[in-house]
Amino acid sequence: MPLDTSTYSLALLRVDGRRWNELRRLHAQIRTQDAADGSSYLEMGHTKVMCIVTGPSEQQQQRRGQTSQRDAAAINVNVVIAGFSSVDRKKSGRNDKRIQEIEVTIANALASNLHTHLFPHSSITISLHVLSQDGSLLAALLNATTLALIDAGIPMTDYIAACTAGSTSTYAAGDDSADPLLDLNNQEEQELPFLTVATLGDSDRIAVLVCESRVQVTRLEGMLVVGVDGCKQVKQFLDQVVREKGAEMVREGAVEKSDAMGMVLDE
Amino acid sequence: MPREAEPSLSERTFVTQALEEGLRVDGRKFDQFRSLELTFGDEYGVAEVKFGKTRVLAKVSAEVTVPYTDRPFDGVFTITSELSPMIAPSYEVNRPSMEEVLLSRLLEKTIRRSGALDTESLCLIAGQKCWSIRVDLHVLTHDGNLTDCACLAVVAALRHFRKPDSSIEGETLTIYTSAEREPVPLSWLHSPFCVTFSFFGEEGEQILVDTTWLEEQLRVSTCTYSINKHGELCQIAKFGGAALDAPLFIQCATGALNRSKELTDLVERKLADDAKRRDKGGFMAELTAENDR
Repeated sequence: MPLDTSTYSLALLRVDGRRWNELRRLHAQIRTQDAADGSSYLEMGHTKVMCIVTGPSEQQQQRRGQTSQRDAAAINVNVVIAGFSSVDRKKSGRNDKRIQEIEVTIANALASNLHTHLFPHSSITISLHVLSQDGSLLAALLNATTLALIDAGIPMTDYIAACTAGSTSTYAAGDDSADPLLDLNNQEEQELPFLTVATLGDSDRIAVLVCESRVQVTRLEGMLVVGVDGCKQVKQFLDQVVREKGAEMVREGAVEKSDAMGMVLDE
Repeated sequence: MPREAEPSLSERTFVTQALEEGLRVDGRKFDQFRSLELTFGDEYGVAEVKFGKTRVLAKVSAEVTVPYTDRPFDGVFTITSELSPMIAPSYEVNRPSMEEVLLSRLLEKTIRRSGALDTESLCLIAGQKCWSIRVDLHVLTHDGNLTDCACLAVVAALRHFRKPDSSIEGETLTIYTSAEREPVPLSWLHSPFCVTFSFFGEEGEQILVDTTWLEEQLRVSTCTYSINKHGELCQIAKFGGAALDAPLFIQCATGALNRSKELTDLVERKLADDAKRRDKGGFMAELTAENDR
């Protein structure tokens, strides 16, 4: 159902009261599951996802249709979208192409970021559960995966941080005054063109770029700039979550504080 | 199931080293496309596209069905693709490989979701009868750049297609055969084309277009744009791979727009040629007694 966003130009406030460059509330926890090698829980506004990483472990029996890898760890991603996650209870089959596409995207993004060559003949299994959907789904999944992989202690080059960016008017209107928007919610995603960007660490380098809506090519630059900027904010946040958890673990005596830890555990 | 053979180490070093020296294995420039061939079949709605050795055939068909209950005013439009063992033994029948899933998703986003075909015009009687347009995509040989080739074939076939004319009087729907009334083209709104860029090198600094299969196996990252000649992006797909600098994407988008304009011209020209070939002087020519004897 299309939503009326025409009031934006009056107050420059979005439907949920944010300004154009504001992220929604971010909340994340790391090491939530004791049994898993790595786990995380992430909220981006009302989008809530859980991630569990198993591995690197000995490669399971090869499933048909998968290429076996001998010189690097295989990355398997499973995304489960809970039936209660959105307003309309939709049963999605295992062969939903949209979910498969998300899985491939996450696996490919990680494959070039993780040092998989350190774990030959092994596999890393990532299970993602979507508990609640309110836009920016792919971005939330990527962020949760990054956190869980850090918890699992799998070596990687840098954080992959993701967020969405959109544009305030529909594709047909050729007005140049359209503002870019950061971190769209579900209502906005229904109505406005948007793209998902994931960058590597603090750099401007883009690992994932997915756009599924019709938009003027001239708006791409503005949307990209805002998206990359949002990714940096998200990266800061993810880093903070990891550091806080580390400090907490040292404080509780779960891990020894060694001199090798160069970083300052500010509390 | 046989596994796709990976390029050997020597092939790998040869190709990447040549690219560093600014050369491609088949002697093309980095931004040069292979010669492409677009042919239409004798029937309406059949298009075959060749990009070098990559060959794809698209066939459009129409039938009258019942519309979906949640969309009573829309017709049905489906694109089905099949990558069969004809291309390579590693493809299996009835088991969609990941490549096929991504291809069909891409075509769906590019052509169906971008509203290239006006599905409301396929409605005959609201909630009861509508046209179902189906595109069958057959990949005959695969030598890289399948998405661009497939997208061009589907768009060309749909533009070429004519559905039977129909009329409604009261409650009765009449579908005319091609002898009774000339078939009518689909209501087409815009023609999006896919353009894929492949990135090579440590930092993805070498950007190649229209890659061959060998090059595709060695690339570090890829990005597909779907864009029409008016500069409207329908989708962008960079599913992971090596991270690239943001300005590259703007640069590639400009390249994609230029290519899309070229392809639009090509399809228009070929359609005009085909129409000229079919037009034998109209009704008067049919009535004349002269023949080849």
